[in-house]
Amino acid sequence: MPRAVDEPPGDAKSERPRRRLPSRCGCLVLLACWGALGCRDSAATPALTFSASALGVEADVVRRQLTRYQEQHPEVRVELRVTPDAADQRHQLYVQWLNARAAEPDVLQLDTIWTAEFAAAGWIRPLDPFAPDVDDFFPAAVAANRWRGVLYALPWFVDAGVLYWRTDLLDTAPGSLAELRASARRMTEAGSTRFGLVWQGARYEGLVTVFLEHLGAFGGGILDAGGRVIVDEPAAVGALTFMRDAIWADGFVPASVLTWQEEQVRFAFQNGQAAFMRNWPYAWALLQDPSRSRVAGRVAVAPFPAGDGGHPTAALGGAELAISAHSAHPRLAWELVAFLAAPEQMLERARLAAQLPARRSLYDNPALALALPMPADEARRVLEAAIPRPVTPVYSELSEILQVRLHRALSRQQEPAQALHDAAVEIRALVERSGLSPEDDNRGTVRP
Amino acid sequence: MTGPTSPLERAEARLALILVAPALGVILLVALVPVAATLWEALHRHDLRLPWLGRPFIGVGNFAEALGDPRFRVAILHTVGFASVSVPLELALGLALALTMHSAVRLRTIVRVAALLPWAIPTVVAALVWRFMFDAQAGVLNASLRGAGLLGPTFDWFVDPLAAWVPIIAADVWKTTPFVAVLLLAGLQTIDHALYEAAGVDGASSTRQFLTITLPLLRPALIVAGAFRALDALRLFDLAYVVTGGGPGTATEPLSLFAFTALLQRLRFGYGSALSVTVFLLTFAFALVCVRMLGRSLTEERS
Repeated sequence: MPRAVDEPPGDAKSERPRRRLPSRCGCLVLLACWGALGCRDSAATPALTFSASALGVEADVVRRQLTRYQEQHPEVRVELRVTPDAADQRHQLYVQWLNARAAEPDVLQLDTIWTAEFAAAGWIRPLDPFAPDVDDFFPAAVAANRWRGVLYALPWFVDAGVLYWRTDLLDTAPGSLAELRASARRMTEAGSTRFGLVWQGARYEGLVTVFLEHLGAFGGGILDAGGRVIVDEPAAVGALTFMRDAIWADGFVPASVLTWQEEQVRFAFQNGQAAFMRNWPYAWALLQDPSRSRVAGRVAVAPFPAGDGGHPTAALGGAELAISAHSAHPRLAWELVAFLAAPEQMLERARLAAQLPARRSLYDNPALALALPMPADEARRVLEAAIPRPVTPVYSELSEILQVRLHRALSRQQEPAQALHDAAVEIRALVERSGLSPEDDNRGTVRP
Repeated sequence: MTGPTSPLERAEARLALILVAPALGVILLVALVPVAATLWEALHRHDLRLPWLGRPFIGVGNFAEALGDPRFRVAILHTVGFASVSVPLELALGLALALTMHSAVRLRTIVRVAALLPWAIPTVVAALVWRFMFDAQAGVLNASLRGAGLLGPTFDWFVDPLAAWVPIIAADVWKTTPFVAVLLLAGLQTIDHALYEAAGVDGASSTRQFLTITLPLLRPALIVAGAFRALDALRLFDLAYVVTGGGPGTATEPLSLFAFTALLQRLRFGYGSALSVTVFLLTFAFALVCVRMLGRSLTEERS
């Protein structure tokens, strides 16, 4: 109503009703017309809803890409459903929606550890009927999205745990866990840094990823290829003992890490308090910003090194795109998924949000080298070594069991061997309760 | 009393029933139905994450699982232990505070308002503040204790299974002592001043006066305050959730937090409901005991 805005503020009171009336009527008529148009419009063009985390720069990228898709596809209406950014909360919300068979959202942003759960529950649609070409994606990311041999989600962006190290204190990255321990101890004893190594040790999902990397370094695992629980085997005990001793015996990891998540770990490293840090690639850009980082220009990234009997391992993280089983427009939803997972969108996401592309070929692309704050070959090296967390529908509960037991062992309430034994017993009971038979194969089956 | 006899009385009784019905209905709807629904849910295996299992009726299976779960038994111990440490502390400090407020002659209002302030702060905010104070890196407490040479440089309250209780209990005592104090202050004000004057004339010392006049006459108020606090302490959730998250491991996990984890994090609706019912029964049983104690103390007083 431009007229109302133009009114002089002084004598408006007496005149307002008379002046406003016609414009108000006009507005109503306009609204009615627009509403009618809108109704007809929405009846003709199907609406696609997409739920994603939408905070800060990530939200900008999503909105920008959805707008572009909308321009190319006027036949659909795309809407963004903003969901909580905290993974646990988003998961809860999804489970509630999908249990209630809500038709919205059509396309879901999943965390990599949810795909098997949602697939086994019948909440997301198999993607194989759309014949997706997955050769270009990192194999670990695709493996995490398969359940009983069927693909249920497309990798959107990937994440992998890496070791940050200080180039001003060391000449090369440690080649083994023993080397890492030796130099971390040397640094703390000489007082070059307050802490040697910092990692995510709070009782949450991050602790499991850190443990997974130590496990790989010692040649252990949580579940074997046949889906059997092997987390109580000697390699795993060795890995957990190494982690505990790092805190209490060798003293190069501060006990406070047991309350730290990604950001507290980053603050410690960023303030120059630690020689090494295990974290995700997101920290790179923040560390290189001299206005807030004391270690800008003195940091490099390497794979987390191997110990005895293992190999360098990175825990795979990242986000996936899946289609709700209750979607009324699966075909259209698939087109949106394919668009969002296309190379151009991934490159843009890397450039604007520093999220790593899930397509291997992009790492040869000079545009990525420019776009990515982290050297492309380093990033690829880490991602090639990435392994998914156990691909099982009961992962969330399995992880909760592990979190408690790991945390007990690391806070010296239990011996590592006992803690892992208890964890294994509980995980086996969980698998039993869930009706999934572990004997079949790593794809697992649901008993009739 | 005999039942209504005349038609008029019967009609009045009917009218009374009709008039009361809406209120009874509301109470039923908001109090009994949810409890009954939770109880019903607790008798089923219902796991939102395992929808292929359906929602079969399993009787007391969830309760049996809880009894066999060491984490559950330890959570009960934590809950009861927390209540038996924090409530006596709050009563003792609350009494001291109440006596101070009672005897304050000048600035009475200001003293009372100041004492009540912690009670007015939302629990989660208070919990966060205490968490920060005990933080090993940036916390005020560790810095000063380290400075005084009382703490090692690497000591972290939240990593030690016993020490992690200190910030939780401290926060609870700090926050709820004023509430206890106000209840006790009301009790103090009902005590006839003539009793003290008489005792003074007889030459009783102030300690003696406190022990033989104040404490016995304050007993009902003490029981009420203690019951309120104990009931609250048995439902301990928000402080543990914010201050330690139940850690390290599950060393500070009370029953309500365990039930919350099972229900809303693991999405095991059946099992979580069984745990919630247990919390409810525990609190309910304790409330009954308190009401009894209170009733007895009141009748004693009268006789």
